[in-house]
Amino acid sequence: MALLSIRNVFKSYFLHGKRIDVLRAVSLDINAGELVSMVGASGAGKSTFLHVLGTLDAPAAGEVLFDGRSVFSMNDAEIAEFRNRTIGFVFQSHYLLPEFTALENVAMPALIQRRDRTGAYTYARELLERVGLGSRVDHRPGELSGGEAQRVALARALVLKPAVLLADEPTGNLDPTTGEGIHQLLRDVNRDLGITAVIVTHNETLARSMPRRLRLAGGQVSEA
Amino acid sequence: MHPAERQTDYRWPLLWAGALVALVGAALLGVAISESEAWAEVAGALGLSLVGWGGLVQSFDAGALALGPGPAGAIAGPKMLVAGTLVWLAGWGIIASGIRRAPASTEGPSPAAGSTLYPRLARYRDFYWSTLGAYGGGILLAELVMLLLQTVLSSGVPSDLGVAARESGGGASLPPTIAFAIALVVGAGVAFASGFVGASRAQRLSLPEATIGVFYLGLPVPILLSLMERVPSLQLALGYRLREVSYVAGLLGRPELGYWLVFAALVLSLVLGINTGFIAAGSGRVDLRLGFELFVARRHVAVFRPSLLLGALAVLMFGIIPPLIIYFIIRGAEAAVERTRVKSLGLADPLAAASAQHRMKLHEQSPTMMMTALSVGGVGVGVMALIIVLSVMSGFEADLQQKILGTNAHAVVSKYAGELPEYAKVMEQVKRVPGVVGQTPFIINQVMIASEGNVDGVIIKGIDPHSVGSVTDLPQNILPGGDLDHLEHPAKILPSRALDDDEDAPTKKLREEEDPIIGKASKPSKPAVLPGIIVGRELAASLRVVVGDRVNVVSPLGTELGPSGPIPKSRAFRVAGVFYSGMYEYDSKFVYILLSEAQDFFALKGATGIELKVADIDDARRISNQVVRVLGGYPYRARDWGEMNKNLFSALRLEKLVMGIILSIIIIVAAGLIVATVIMLVLEKRKEISVLKALGVPDGGIVKIFLAEGLQIGVAGGLLGLFSGLAWCLFIEKVGIKLDPEVYYIPALPVRIEPVQTALSVVIAVLVTYLASIYPALKASSVEPVEGLKAE
Repeated sequence: MALLSIRNVFKSYFLHGKRIDVLRAVSLDINAGELVSMVGASGAGKSTFLHVLGTLDAPAAGEVLFDGRSVFSMNDAEIAEFRNRTIGFVFQSHYLLPEFTALENVAMPALIQRRDRTGAYTYARELLERVGLGSRVDHRPGELSGGEAQRVALARALVLKPAVLLADEPTGNLDPTTGEGIHQLLRDVNRDLGITAVIVTHNETLARSMPRRLRLAGGQVSEA
Repeated sequence: MHPAERQTDYRWPLLWAGALVALVGAALLGVAISESEAWAEVAGALGLSLVGWGGLVQSFDAGALALGPGPAGAIAGPKMLVAGTLVWLAGWGIIASGIRRAPASTEGPSPAAGSTLYPRLARYRDFYWSTLGAYGGGILLAELVMLLLQTVLSSGVPSDLGVAARESGGGASLPPTIAFAIALVVGAGVAFASGFVGASRAQRLSLPEATIGVFYLGLPVPILLSLMERVPSLQLALGYRLREVSYVAGLLGRPELGYWLVFAALVLSLVLGINTGFIAAGSGRVDLRLGFELFVARRHVAVFRPSLLLGALAVLMFGIIPPLIIYFIIRGAEAAVERTRVKSLGLADPLAAASAQHRMKLHEQSPTMMMTALSVGGVGVGVMALIIVLSVMSGFEADLQQKILGTNAHAVVSKYAGELPEYAKVMEQVKRVPGVVGQTPFIINQVMIASEGNVDGVIIKGIDPHSVGSVTDLPQNILPGGDLDHLEHPAKILPSRALDDDEDAPTKKLREEEDPIIGKASKPSKPAVLPGIIVGRELAASLRVVVGDRVNVVSPLGTELGPSGPIPKSRAFRVAGVFYSGMYEYDSKFVYILLSEAQDFFALKGATGIELKVADIDDARRISNQVVRVLGGYPYRARDWGEMNKNLFSALRLEKLVMGIILSIIIIVAAGLIVATVIMLVLEKRKEISVLKALGVPDGGIVKIFLAEGLQIGVAGGLLGLFSGLAWCLFIEKVGIKLDPEVYYIPALPVRIEPVQTALSVVIAVLVTYLASIYPALKASSVEPVEGLKAE
């Protein structure tokens, strides 16, 4: 059975008062452990697709199933907990919280769960070392470079060992060399930790290097 | 929040105009109804519970009453009633015309037509009757529970309920104020619980339901109680049953104010319950764990920094100007030093200077920080002012109370008519009542007092010198030179030394008084020993007498038959002492003589009554009731000090309450500042809120974070206000602020720090800041995660 599946999902966004239907009756299955890339033109709705998949945004119609369970029929608190435990996000910007150090940012999802603070910090430190930032744990996001911040964001997405990692153009703001480092990390994560990953990207080279490729156009998702 | 697309179109100008017109109509109706005494009629006709049911029922019934046979006194009645009703209905008509069905969308069916709506929106409903029931029923229930509980607790369980009331032992009932406090807590709890249940079941705030519930189910009770104070027939119907309630409210002087304050408190706890219920709505349980939320909130607003707290405290203690000057001096010096340092650094290494400058920039404060400091200061000023003013007012009250109770008894036992010849027997019985710690018989009457210099009308009291000290402070109040015991042994009264200090003074004086016709006697005859009298300091001054001087007491009542008809009874006394109670009224109006002299003078057998001292003055009412019960009721009666000085103390309390309300406005202004601060924070942290939501913080968690931020400001401000207020009070107490004794009859500003009242000031401040941050916190939680995550 598919880990994540979406059934007949509709979603629109509004631009200058006009409705743009970016997902029209989209149905899709993603199996556990898959590494999926998604490409599409700007404004085609890739981010919206990812948001719906990650329960950040509710679809207008249709269902999102995780392990066969409809996530949008849960109540707010359950959805929030689902997001906290099951899904890790990496965005185009790092979106780290500026008042907290790198270590605290990485530990944040565990703190939200009210896990023991020392334990959370120990694991967060481990993860930061793994992404090559062992020396910068006590720096605030303002003191990190773009590539470093994005690696901290990736560590934060992984701290609770989520089942799914959703990345929205994670290297969009980075130079090719730094970006390649992040890509490598994403591939390692998928391979070593067995985390299912969906990566939205403009980078055709990266997309081609993924085992499964999706293309979003005209409100429809097709295998490319 | 997922607002459903509404098919209605609101024309707000029409709605507002309609609301105004309806309000005018309601006001007209109100005037007409209250003038035509239709309130009482309506109340009688409809059954009391319907009184508050909106204007509709009232206007129909009142209209029917006025148009029909109607009360004869309704002069302005029918016309105004009709006009009011018409205006009122017209207002609603305008409102209705302002709500229109919007034209159907011209777009064709979308590709999604026919697919299943996603589950959350499919469950959406506009109005929950059950929530209305929970809110409205909850507030009504809270009010009824309060009324019942207070009555049951303080008046003892009604005997017809068959519950064994503890008759003797004095424990049949709690003191009214404690009963009120318990009832208030329970009532507030009920309101809170129903708000919680309603909101958490509906999973939203449901403001329309709350408004309707409070309006139609909550308002009738306070309206009814207020009317009870005005409308005699209602007073007749309900007054006796609700006597305990109106007694406590009456302590304020204006019972209506009390009812509405309590109603406001109940609504407040309903709102708190709704808010808490909403926070818990997502999960259906209250998550009181705050560790994570506080962790985030403290990084957002770092209120508990020593510099901020000390700065705000300095401003509260010394005013805003001196700390500001010092601050600028320090900052100026610091900046100068830094610039010199950076310059010298730069001369050696320009890049090191650049990074030093960068670090300096990082230390600059953000506008939110300034707002936070201002809000903390605002709350602090409010709390401080509240504590100082209330403590000074309590000081005046305590001073007055001490003076009144130093001269007067806590309670007086007497008969409804006539004197108390059997006072010795009564005292035997009263002695057994628990709580009575002292008693003394007395006779009171009004007389004229005359000295050589002046005449004055005074109140004369016959006292028992042995027992009077167990009730009043008279023995301690006697100024040096006089003595209470000399009342019984007038021979011991020191002779007056009016003019000079030599030994011959009394002799000289006597000689002067001798009849000039007879000429000087060779030897002054030993004067008859006159009975003693004790006068107040002011009276002594105006009569120009000192200890040992002779005064004449003249009673207009007990006349004696003289050669030319009845003449007022007159008797000579010698001043045995002068007392100073500190109350001008007493020091200028009271004189004391021996009880037996008074009996003799006024031809009485016993006493006017018995003065009592009780262990706890706040319990005087209950104990005096107990005394009457022990004495067997009529014809005996007992009045406590509160009843005897009701006007004075209720005026004082009302003044204090109004003062408290006015000063609370400072806190409310500060709360406005908090709303602004937290809204600024929410706007500033929009992106962070989205991120936190993406990381899995539920809506309730976001609400809690921002509530905690507002609360931090409130708690910090409240504590600062507490410290500075107490410090000021201590200053006033220890150092003192002199008052003009001519005006105030009190040497310095009195201060009394009452713990409950002080704590209440802080609690009110914290509560107000909590309420103030509810709206911004809800705003914060309604930020959609995708909103802040859009790529710029």
